[in-house]
Amino acid sequence: MDLVDLIVEKRFLGQEFLTWLWWKSEERGGSVELPGEGDVTVVFEKHMLLESGEGESMEKIVCTGLQAELQEARTGLRMGKKLEQARIIIGHRDYEYSFTLAAALMEFRNVRLPKTETTEQDKSESPEEIEGMTLERIYLFEELIKLVNGLFRMFLDVRLSAAWGDELQKIRKWVAKSTVIDHDQGEM
Amino acid sequence: MGLLKGSASFVRFSVLGELPENTLDFIADRVIAFSFKDIDDTYDEYSIGWVSILNMFDSQFQYASYAAGDYITLTLRIDERKVSPAILKKVLQKEEERVRLERQLPKLSRPMKVEIKERVRVDLMRKAIPIPSIFELCWSLSDATLLFFSTNKKIHAVIEDYFKESFGLLIRQQIPYTTAEHLIDEEQLAVLERISPDIFV
Repeated sequence: MDLVDLIVEKRFLGQEFLTWLWWKSEERGGSVELPGEGDVTVVFEKHMLLESGEGESMEKIVCTGLQAELQEARTGLRMGKKLEQARIIIGHRDYEYSFTLAAALMEFRNVRLPKTETTEQDKSESPEEIEGMTLERIYLFEELIKLVNGLFRMFLDVRLSAAWGDELQKIRKWVAKSTVIDHDQGEM
Repeated sequence: MGLLKGSASFVRFSVLGELPENTLDFIADRVIAFSFKDIDDTYDEYSIGWVSILNMFDSQFQYASYAAGDYITLTLRIDERKVSPAILKKVLQKEEERVRLERQLPKLSRPMKVEIKERVRVDLMRKAIPIPSIFELCWSLSDATLLFFSTNKKIHAVIEDYFKESFGLLIRQQIPYTTAEHLIDEEQLAVLERISPDIFV
């Protein structure tokens, strides 16, 4: 299949991953155990875009808010929408990354790298220092990709196995739970 | 902005195909052969080529190397002369009226209008200062991957073509499906090919 067809037909794969990651991060209070890497903090914040349908029947909702309990987004999930974009903070060891992941095409947007001593040397003039700073930035970008790919691999391992049925049930319970929260608020 | 400083937006590409054995010499030749050529003092409408990531005026890499460790870091610079449609319309109307009065015609013929439009367009284009845009990339030779610092799809098509022209290598964007192909085993791949979307409610 060529890339254009894959983009259309397998669009759901990235969106299911991102939706799964949202659930996964909340399952253990913002922490995901990444095999081989240990605990990684994964926090969804501020900005989300959800999507359902395709072509002309595609519907999107955008949710933003600092104090985001993201009720609108959770309602979107209940309507069968999946997460297409989310602002995520990922922490691993001493590094913290903040970025927006656009799921269908796996675009990394507005990535903020952790600040390190080398990358903050703004006035470096010598070619060696500049190369060092460039390499450090590249290393940090690649670390972020490695973490995201690690989480994606975790998703694939369960999505492509017999365990997916159980996982899906847990996700559905989590989606349904937000209904109860809404219902309670409605009665207050 | 992006690769070297501040916040960055990027996508990842796989680089397909083999480089010759004398890889770095080959890349050195190609980068210079396909480096950016300035069009400020010409009438050319478009120019595309490689420049240094540190300085977009350095197309000969005199001040900094594009090699950093195992990576090739380059900036793709595109200069383009553009005339805004509103300016074209304004100048065109004025010129049509001038010609009509000069030739004492009640109305300009269609071929005349076409000729005036082309003349005005070329004239304005020559006066326009080329608008530069730059896009950074970081090519990992050992991983055969490329980080391209733009999420603009039109520019993705441009970099795919220009990278192929420069280095004779195809690049393919890593979307979730193609990323997955690198992460899983054959058994999982067979399942991946068959799965369809699931409902999460």
